[in-house]
Amino acid sequence: MAKKISKKDIAQLLKAWSQQFAVLAPSRKRGVAEMAEWDGKDVSFLDWYRNTVVPPKASFLPPMEEMFRFQKDKGKYSIEPPSKNGQKQLIFGIRPCDARAMAILDMTFEDAYQDPYYLSKRKNTLLVGLGCANPYESCFCTSLGISPSESADVDLMLTDIGDHFFIEEITAKGKELTAKTSGLKDANKDDEAEARKAKETAYNKVTRKLDTEGIKDKLLASFDDEEFWQKAAAKCVSCGICTLLCPTCYCFDINDELVKDEGARFRSWDSCGFSLYTRMPMENPREEKWRRVRQKVCHKYEFYPMTFDIIACTGCGRCIRLCPVNWDITKVLESVPAEAKAGK
Amino acid sequence: MTVSDISQRQKFFAQGNVYLPHIAVIEKIIEETPGVRTFHFNLKDQKLQKDFSFQSGQFAQYSVFGIGEAPFCISSSPTRRGHLEFAAQKVGKVTNALHRLGVGAEIGFRGPYGNSFPLDSLKGKNLVFVSGGIGLAPLRSLIWNVIDNRNKYKKIDIVYGARSPADLCFKYDLDAWDKDKTVNMVTTVDRGDDTWKGKVGLVPKVLEEVAPSAEEAVAIVCGPPIMIRFTFPALEKLGFKPEQMLTTLEKRMKCGIGKCGRCNIGNIYVCRDGPVFSYAQIKDFVSSEY
Repeated sequence: MAKKISKKDIAQLLKAWSQQFAVLAPSRKRGVAEMAEWDGKDVSFLDWYRNTVVPPKASFLPPMEEMFRFQKDKGKYSIEPPSKNGQKQLIFGIRPCDARAMAILDMTFEDAYQDPYYLSKRKNTLLVGLGCANPYESCFCTSLGISPSESADVDLMLTDIGDHFFIEEITAKGKELTAKTSGLKDANKDDEAEARKAKETAYNKVTRKLDTEGIKDKLLASFDDEEFWQKAAAKCVSCGICTLLCPTCYCFDINDELVKDEGARFRSWDSCGFSLYTRMPMENPREEKWRRVRQKVCHKYEFYPMTFDIIACTGCGRCIRLCPVNWDITKVLESVPAEAKAGK
Repeated sequence: MTVSDISQRQKFFAQGNVYLPHIAVIEKIIEETPGVRTFHFNLKDQKLQKDFSFQSGQFAQYSVFGIGEAPFCISSSPTRRGHLEFAAQKVGKVTNALHRLGVGAEIGFRGPYGNSFPLDSLKGKNLVFVSGGIGLAPLRSLIWNVIDNRNKYKKIDIVYGARSPADLCFKYDLDAWDKDKTVNMVTTVDRGDDTWKGKVGLVPKVLEEVAPSAEEAVAIVCGPPIMIRFTFPALEKLGFKPEQMLTTLEKRMKCGIGKCGRCNIGNIYVCRDGPVFSYAQIKDFVSSEY
């Protein structure tokens, strides 16, 4: 049975959840919209929040993360494993596109070798989704099979139905949470109808469309079409922002730091948009910009589908909104030649 | 890679975490060429050293603490287990730091990672090894493996080259294989010098002269990318099919386990799906991404 909560009780709700979890909610405190530890009172994000600039992957794969420490003593080394951080988290307000991004990232971090840093945080985190009623012009989630107000990738899903939020229990973990949460009312048939209407309205507000039908095969056929990729990459300035702030990009670098006898190994976000990323001493397979742009596009729309049977893009639109030169992945994908060039 | 492969390897994780290195101790250093050294090493934990297992073709991540990590194949053969070996050319940050280390120094080691040469499908075949420069490192693990089980394989041809006589790596191996009457060892250099009495010529060209038969044969190729690019067509001329050619690729890697992204070409990760590939698997992108 779905629940509901009065909007004016949201602060109360978050306060109650803060007793059991580190609650993250949309915040602009650091000057840029991101999920940050909730301060215990401010729910103004309910008015201004459309989506965060920094995607929620940052809570699981932080921009920079210590992997372990090591000590040096007369040329001998000892390794100190990372401390087990069992802190339970709750992310409040994640958008359906970003929740799907987490499901996409799980595939990589669970594949073959388990990534202990990412997965331990993932296991300890509840996702409470918030329907998106005001998508950006750059959003195209509906073209990737995502609805801005519906999600199977969260534990609880909230939809704005006027003076209340309609609450759906998506997972057993979500159900368990609502059972332990006081102040929720049972939703009735009218609320359900309201929610359905709100979802439909939101869905129709996403006006940008991308035809993804057959895109994998088109990209496969055009892989060696240098002229096309040169054109697609022409205005890119290789700043990397479209990858660093992409909710499904996960590339990282690993580096050491040693000061006197105390050291640590870190991992940090990296980007296939940088030529250093693949540079080897003797040669670099992606020295040229068009090869890097091709890598970015094909990894999302060709390689990831080949491996995991899902496009690694959620149509969140960040790479379009945040690009300093208005590079637009939907325009690139729309112009992929339908047929391979003759003579290939 | 199957799930059982992974669980097999899990027992070598330091404290259950795939990213944590074990401490290894350098036991011996061999100056192969002015820029290339072979490091003999053992894991500091003796029980682990005893239990540790790997296959020819697999690689590991080696670290100089405070400098960083770099991937190298395990260049010794699993059939010779007094110690483990890897070879590194002094070209970057980590390899320069490795070259500054002496015997007794401690390094980080995690692995083994990646797939390996398919020994089962090599059994009963004629084997043609084609290699250049430090590219012999992964192949010598397999060559010794094969020689130590000599009766399982038929003819063995080895064509190995380097830019100059001074750039030939693993000269002690070349001598041993040259003396081995069951092996046809051909060594060549791009440019000879006053003392060089062997062949002069690029590896793909010399390979065509040696002209090993493609019948019941598998070619195993590893060397600089430029050599690999010209060796495949040479083998095709000799009648080898793409499925009969194996190589082991090198890419920049950080994680070694298919996560960090940089060794991605097409839908494969060199670290996770390789480093050993058949030419049939990679020929579509060899021209454009390798």
